[in-house]
Amino acid sequence: MLTRADKLLIAVLIFAAVCSIIPGLTSVAHEQLFAEIRVDGKLIRTVALRQGYSERIRIGTSQHYNEIEVADKKVRVVDADCPDQICVKTGWISLPSQQIVCLPWHVVIKLSATSQNIDGIAR
Amino acid sequence: MRNSMRPTRQTILLALFVAIASALHVAESLIPVPIPVPGIKLGLANIVSLAVIVMFNWQSAMLVVLVRIIIAALFGGTFLGVTFALSLSGAVLSTAVMAFVYKWWQPPFSLIGVSIIGAVTHNMVQIIAAALLVSSMDLLWYMPYLVLFAVPMGMITGITLHYFLAKLTRLKLV
Repeated sequence: MLTRADKLLIAVLIFAAVCSIIPGLTSVAHEQLFAEIRVDGKLIRTVALRQGYSERIRIGTSQHYNEIEVADKKVRVVDADCPDQICVKTGWISLPSQQIVCLPWHVVIKLSATSQNIDGIAR
Repeated sequence: MRNSMRPTRQTILLALFVAIASALHVAESLIPVPIPVPGIKLGLANIVSLAVIVMFNWQSAMLVVLVRIIIAALFGGTFLGVTFALSLSGAVLSTAVMAFVYKWWQPPFSLIGVSIIGAVTHNMVQIIAAALLVSSMDLLWYMPYLVLFAVPMGMITGITLHYFLAKLTRLKLV
């Protein structure tokens, strides 16, 4: 049923996908991580993740919200009033370049090993 | 087979395909996908898009896709919302790409190959649309995961279509 071209296509696609996933998985877990919170592409806050530190951040407007929880070295969206709830279902993220996305409210939370603003608040 | 088809028969068949595609679209939005990636979908309605490309032509397929997206959005209450914009961009572009590949590169590709290309295009266009929406190119990080998900889904829809068309020919419906 599958032709040679089909098999080649499948092999190339899977190979390309696996090759671009592997480098992200092998990155060092001991680096200092920062959670960058962006709304509409604009950096709202950067939180340095460290053991024993926890914070709840509520972002949004009078119309809608996302409540973000930072605890030790991980981040999640605890609660949001977006229709799809994908951000809440994503759960905890703790590895570099992992991210939480809330499409309806245009929120992206990303973990990165380098901070754009060490001091925390950028407006 | 398309030349022998009378206009009334063609209209009725297309209407049936719109109904099937809308039902699949609504049904698949009820099925939870194990990985929480924005815009990810099983792509069951793609079976119908490709079936119409094969049985009719790309214009009819585009028509079925547009009507399906609008009907499904009205059912789901997402008309003109984020989900609507994502499914519209993904479905229209993947149908266009599938029509092109079917016309020029089949063979070497079989219907399954065409279907895989459609599924990958669908997911890639959706994630690019989502990235533009939140103005953050970081979302493209999801791309390899989407491709890994799209390949088996494209195979499943392609195989389904293969048997569907075989059955239709045997029943002399087309």
